[in-house]
Amino acid sequence: MTPSIPPVLYAEDEADDVFFMRAAFKRVGVEHHLEAVSDGEQAIGYLAGEGPYADRNQFPMPGLLLLDLNLPVRSGFEVLGWLRSQAHLGHLKVVVFSSSGRPEDRVRAAQLGATGYLLKPASGAEFADTARLLRERWLA
Amino acid sequence: MTPTRGLIAFGLWKPRTAVTVALFCLCTALMAYLRLHVFADRVITLTYGLPLLICLWYPSLALLWSLVAAFVAMSAYKAFVLLPPMDNTVNWLMQLTNILVVAAAVHVVLLTLRRLRAANAALEQSNQELIARDEEIGRQNEELHAQTEELAQQNEEINQQSEELQHQSEELQAQTEELQTLNAELGKRHDLLENLLRSLQDVSGGDSSPAQLCGPVLQLFRGVARAVAVVQQERDEIAVQALAGARELEAMRWPFSTSFARVAMEQDKVAGVADLALRPDFTLARPRHGAFRAVLAAPLHVGGKPAGVIEVYSEQPTSWTREQFQILEWAAAQCSLIMEVRRLHQQLVTANADLDRLVQARTSELQDLVTELEHFSYTITHDLRAPLRAMHGFAQFLEEETGPQLDEQSRGYLRRIAVAARRMDQLISDALSYSKAVRLELAMGPTDPAALLRGMIESYPAFQPPNAQIELAPELPRVVANEAALTQCFSNLLDNAVKFVPNGRKPHVRVRAEEHDSMVRFWFEDNGIGIPPDMRQRLFVMFQRLSKDYEGTGIGLALVRKVVERMGGNVGVESEPGVGSRFWVELKRSVN
Repeated sequence: MTPSIPPVLYAEDEADDVFFMRAAFKRVGVEHHLEAVSDGEQAIGYLAGEGPYADRNQFPMPGLLLLDLNLPVRSGFEVLGWLRSQAHLGHLKVVVFSSSGRPEDRVRAAQLGATGYLLKPASGAEFADTARLLRERWLA
Repeated sequence: MTPTRGLIAFGLWKPRTAVTVALFCLCTALMAYLRLHVFADRVITLTYGLPLLICLWYPSLALLWSLVAAFVAMSAYKAFVLLPPMDNTVNWLMQLTNILVVAAAVHVVLLTLRRLRAANAALEQSNQELIARDEEIGRQNEELHAQTEELAQQNEEINQQSEELQHQSEELQAQTEELQTLNAELGKRHDLLENLLRSLQDVSGGDSSPAQLCGPVLQLFRGVARAVAVVQQERDEIAVQALAGARELEAMRWPFSTSFARVAMEQDKVAGVADLALRPDFTLARPRHGAFRAVLAAPLHVGGKPAGVIEVYSEQPTSWTREQFQILEWAAAQCSLIMEVRRLHQQLVTANADLDRLVQARTSELQDLVTELEHFSYTITHDLRAPLRAMHGFAQFLEEETGPQLDEQSRGYLRRIAVAARRMDQLISDALSYSKAVRLELAMGPTDPAALLRGMIESYPAFQPPNAQIELAPELPRVVANEAALTQCFSNLLDNAVKFVPNGRKPHVRVRAEEHDSMVRFWFEDNGIGIPPDMRQRLFVMFQRLSKDYEGTGIGLALVRKVVERMGGNVGVESEPGVGSRFWVELKRSVN
């Protein structure tokens, strides 16, 4: 885990999905470490560097936020909204990762400043495709 | 024949050369013989002038003067040659004079004769003409006469007709007067109705129909009635609701029990009193001067119940005629009708307002329900997908990572888990599509089914040879539909047609169209496994899979039916198990 490569922060409440994403990263050979938070409030806390996340050595600032929309406490859209209000976080790339194919969700995500929108595949084993896509497009 | 005529007649002989010469010779010869031979030596009294008179008879100037010449010669010969030489010159001269005078006279006569002849001829001609004209005039006269008679006849006829017309004119006059009277009557009735209708349109005020009624009714009874009032029962009194004629009655009241209005209401028909002086048991409104001597009353009804009485008051005793009874009955009926209409109209307005409120409330409720359902369907599909992802993913991982170590049976199990998971995912997708199709507004417009089908076939290898043979009929008319929805339907139908074939048979699908009335029916004819008759009922019902041998969620056809119905169309199927099926989709033909 080289601290020079910023991690990918994955905001996801489904533990299985996190498992599959880690497995996919490993399978595809993504170098970035995957940090996970399980609700919107934690995501905001991590990005803000509050509470337990104040220690940037242990919890480095991520280079990419992979965001599920259906998060408890604070939803994915709320997180996006909070991010827009944070000027110093304007550079952060956010890719929405959701099982919702609804056009209105895509539009809203784009309006709130999401960089990309990926649909969750039907099987956890297919997260590898997603990982490859992430690497190609947003993980330089 | 007058002498002149006779002379002229003689003078009409036409001189002819041969005759002239003959006469000349004859006369000359004769005179010569007589005078020169027989009486050669003496003077005779047979004058030369005598033969000249022949010319009166034979009017030839040539003969005359030739004879003159001859006689002059002869006499000269005789006087100077034949006779002893004496002094015959005087004689001879006297003879000469004789001859010449006679000749001259005859000459003049001849000329006159000639002129007379000419004049005569002219006169004759004129006479002829006159006669002819006379005849013509006579004829024309006759004609005129005949025509005059005819005209006289016609004149008589015209006179007759004129008399008839006169009669008819008088009749018409009488009828016109009658019609005018009727017209006036109708005019009054028309006024009455118009007033009533106006009162109907005036929704702001209360029910002014009774007030509108009184004036026109008074008009109808003009000359007979002094006042017309609409009265109502208020507890034990009669009160005047509306009035025309005697303003002073406006605020009057009189007891109900002895009123004539009570009689009219109880008997529920038009009633009248010819002379109230004979009926002291009735109390009535009293005008300022004198009293009413006769009354005619008709009840008014609203909603089937008596709502008052219209009374016509007269100051003279009046034997009310049947016609007057009828008029008042008619007027009362009109007024009752109008009042009833107002009442019903009011009811309708209230009912409508209530209905509107109800509809709005219900719509709002439904809207909420729909939104809830939408939210529910999305949440549940999302929630279902998460565990599905996990199950599918882990099964696949197991297969990949431990597969080589497992026996065939275990590997089979893992595969079947994966298959089941895929099916469930498809089911969730379909369920989502179905609920969307059910809910959403479908924007409709002219659609080209041929283009959609061709696009579909081109995009999916499953629809192309060698996997399948899909034939499109050349004429596929345009229909009114939603393009996306129609694509989904056709896609489902083609999918089914291509999927449900017996082993080893290559799917062959034919798409054609039939037009009737304003609808177009698209047939999807396949050579698949077919559908047994008892299954056809459940074919289009959701989640009904009729065959376990082929993959599918059972939603496809239910979706097709729902969507087509929402586009105003219909679906159906005909089938022969083992041979094939013919699915049909019917939609409205597009005009452009």
